[in-house]
Amino acid sequence: MSRQIRSRLPLVLVAVFTVLVALTLLGPTDPADAQRKKVLNIAAKEPDTLDPHSSTLGQSQAIARFMFRGLTRFAIKDGKVTTAEVEPDLAESWTLSPEGTIWTFKLRKGVQFHKGFGELTAEDVKYSFERQINKAPGTRYGVNLDVIKSIEVVDPHTIQIALKAFDPIFLLRMVGYQQGYILSKKAVEKYGEQFKWNPVGTGPFYFERHSPREKVVLKAFDKFHAGRPQIDAVNYFDVPEDATKLIGLEKGTFDLLYPEAVTADFADQVKKMGAVIDRRGPGGQERFYINMTKPPFDDIRVRKAFMHAIDRKAIKETMYPGGLARLASSCVPPGYFGHIPMQFPEYNPELAKKLLAEAGHPNGFTIKNYFISKSFFYPKVLTLAQEQLRKVGIIVELQVVEHATFHENIRKNLDPFVLYGGTRITDADPWLSLFFDSKEIPDPATGNKGTNFAHYRAIDDLLAAGRVERDVKKRAAIYAEAQKRIERDLVCLPISDVPGQWARNPKRVSTPFDPEYGEYSLHYSYNYPELLKVLN
Amino acid sequence: MINYVLRRVLVAVPMLLGAMSIVFFAMRVLPGDPCVAMMGDQATTEALADCTKNLGLNRPLAVQYVDYLWRSVQFDFGNSLRQGYPVSEYISRMFPHTLVLVLAAAVVAALVGVPIGIFSALNRRNPLIDYPLRIFALLGLSMPVFWLGILLLIVFSLRLDLFPLIGGGDLDGAIAMIRSGEVFTQPRDFLAAVADVLHHLALPALALGFTLAATVSRLSRSAMLEVISQDYIRTARAKGHHERAVVYKHALRNMMVPLLTIIGLFVAIALTGTVLTETVFTRPGLGKMLVDAIGARDYPLAQGAITVFTVIIITVNLVVDMLYAVVDPRITYR
Repeated sequence: MSRQIRSRLPLVLVAVFTVLVALTLLGPTDPADAQRKKVLNIAAKEPDTLDPHSSTLGQSQAIARFMFRGLTRFAIKDGKVTTAEVEPDLAESWTLSPEGTIWTFKLRKGVQFHKGFGELTAEDVKYSFERQINKAPGTRYGVNLDVIKSIEVVDPHTIQIALKAFDPIFLLRMVGYQQGYILSKKAVEKYGEQFKWNPVGTGPFYFERHSPREKVVLKAFDKFHAGRPQIDAVNYFDVPEDATKLIGLEKGTFDLLYPEAVTADFADQVKKMGAVIDRRGPGGQERFYINMTKPPFDDIRVRKAFMHAIDRKAIKETMYPGGLARLASSCVPPGYFGHIPMQFPEYNPELAKKLLAEAGHPNGFTIKNYFISKSFFYPKVLTLAQEQLRKVGIIVELQVVEHATFHENIRKNLDPFVLYGGTRITDADPWLSLFFDSKEIPDPATGNKGTNFAHYRAIDDLLAAGRVERDVKKRAAIYAEAQKRIERDLVCLPISDVPGQWARNPKRVSTPFDPEYGEYSLHYSYNYPELLKVLN
Repeated sequence: MINYVLRRVLVAVPMLLGAMSIVFFAMRVLPGDPCVAMMGDQATTEALADCTKNLGLNRPLAVQYVDYLWRSVQFDFGNSLRQGYPVSEYISRMFPHTLVLVLAAAVVAALVGVPIGIFSALNRRNPLIDYPLRIFALLGLSMPVFWLGILLLIVFSLRLDLFPLIGGGDLDGAIAMIRSGEVFTQPRDFLAAVADVLHHLALPALALGFTLAATVSRLSRSAMLEVISQDYIRTARAKGHHERAVVYKHALRNMMVPLLTIIGLFVAIALTGTVLTETVFTRPGLGKMLVDAIGARDYPLAQGAITVFTVIIITVNLVVDMLYAVVDPRITYR
């Protein structure tokens, strides 16, 4: 008998397998209840945390905006969202003391936290800021609140924030974004370190669950202070590959895509399938910083030659044809307070060669072991620049490395010029402070891992003056002067201003704002996810 | 036999410790810092210093190493640097996804590879059968799993809409139902969860299984060729046995020994294959988790995952050695 069974084993296995295959074919396809329940399916990368004060990654900040809010928000003006002005959100009004150091915020009454954590009070606001100022483990943005001297709860709906000195961008710091998000004190105390996967805010969606490496599920918050969102649930899928995201958009698995990078090919495919790309300023800027202390770039003629050798327009058009990005006009991007257009040496390889010869490099020179990240836009932009530099005799021998290694190496000053990207609070002060303040010069000897890759020291005085200036026009003049000095010293060459871009299936999801720069945002996503609507 | 097993387990301990130590130091020799990887271009000097301190990475390497070994002995692999989850919990959530993928791929590989190998060996003198089968094996060997995976996705998921594009199905739900006993009280729900898992598993298992089938068929072919040239096969034929009986009763069982040998190797190949398969099919699992952890310099997670991989490979090899005795009574262990 047993022999018989053994001899029939292959047949039995085949039968079992056939049944299983049949089962799979009969099994459910995509979540069909998405149709009835108004489920928004987003393809992005997996967030590293849902504590909005803790992550610097785009995908984590994008999802934070679905769950959290701040005292202020970017204003909606003439049907567009602007990063230049703020309006009340969790605070309904505010006043500034005559000497300019005490802000008093009146909180909106009746705002509820998710999951029964009660009404928002001044205690929660105080706690949200103090945990960052006191550098609770994992928090990243305390530095943006260093201006605060003390916080006092006047009554449950009034809070007074005393500053060490006047801060021209304080209301921008209070926007629901990074350090500005208000958390439930009770929830943070209850969950401790695990708050990062048990987030409790006042936003339009609350956290339901996280299946690691798969998805985060959010649900509509019935008691959201501006009214329940139309969407019932949000699935935030972990989809690292852009190619998979595109297939999912076409197939209808996803409604919104948060791509790693929007290339011409990506945009073409989105267009072909009848989807749209929502473009949000100010986005990130891709630019070169030239280390003015590292030979041969310590010679301004070599820096000028470098800039003449780079065809910015060609790089921008190759990377982001047409409307995919804008040719950068300044080392402080448009959309930031204080931005002025700057002049940069035009593309002229002959002039570049002449300048190199004058500087003692008639045959150019070779940069060995130039490190560049293998991720994002870095290798592509650098390869284009490499070819352009080669034409004037500057040979760049690339070492393509992991993103983490790249960050490590540029802070060891191993690259004489650094390609960099990113977005900051939309004001010239934080931007210029990070990239041009001498305190931020990276130095492996002292362990300083700052981002002043140009090793620039010429605007420290202006930065200090700008931080205390209360007159808006004078502040603007200070930052204009700073940009002129940077222009004079040739240490920064911006290439492209790349907007934040998500692909959207317009037959499935609508937004009230124009896809083409209808909103400015710092959230790596939509400012107002509660205004998104799932159609049909 | 018991002595042999005990001896093997004792030998496995230093092997495991060695592997763990290599991983520990290799992760730290790799350029790149977990804090920089985590915080990217928005990291300030102060924030980076804080992060390094909070993660305990500012301690001397020797202290970190001893701490890591001591905790590992107590099955505490620490917390993921990036997401904060306990590594053991993380791995236990990922492991079932990888396990079902490897098992399903093994089934596909065995069902496709072994018969093809045997058939090809038995018909080695008939080029019309042998050549196409060998070409098939060559195709499988040359076709990378990510290419085949994308092809399957485009055809069966996007165009024919038969299978889902991403995810691992409701495996957590199915496991929870087994644990809670709901599998008996709500069999329909359980079957639905299983069907969902299989539905998500079909394409990845086919992709990985097919590429593995090529290796299996080549090895089965050579194993069978070796066996059928033995004297006892000739004797069996001389005795007038039917060819089917010769193959099934005499050859098949004897070719299992060399086949089993490759199973240990096969598990290692399959585990490596899950890395690409899980990435292409956007499935949760250990392979993809390991690669991401290395990229993010998430030391505890990478160390934990590699420890699990090492344990799996050691265990499989041990089990294979035990099975020799089962399939071939001439082999005994002392």
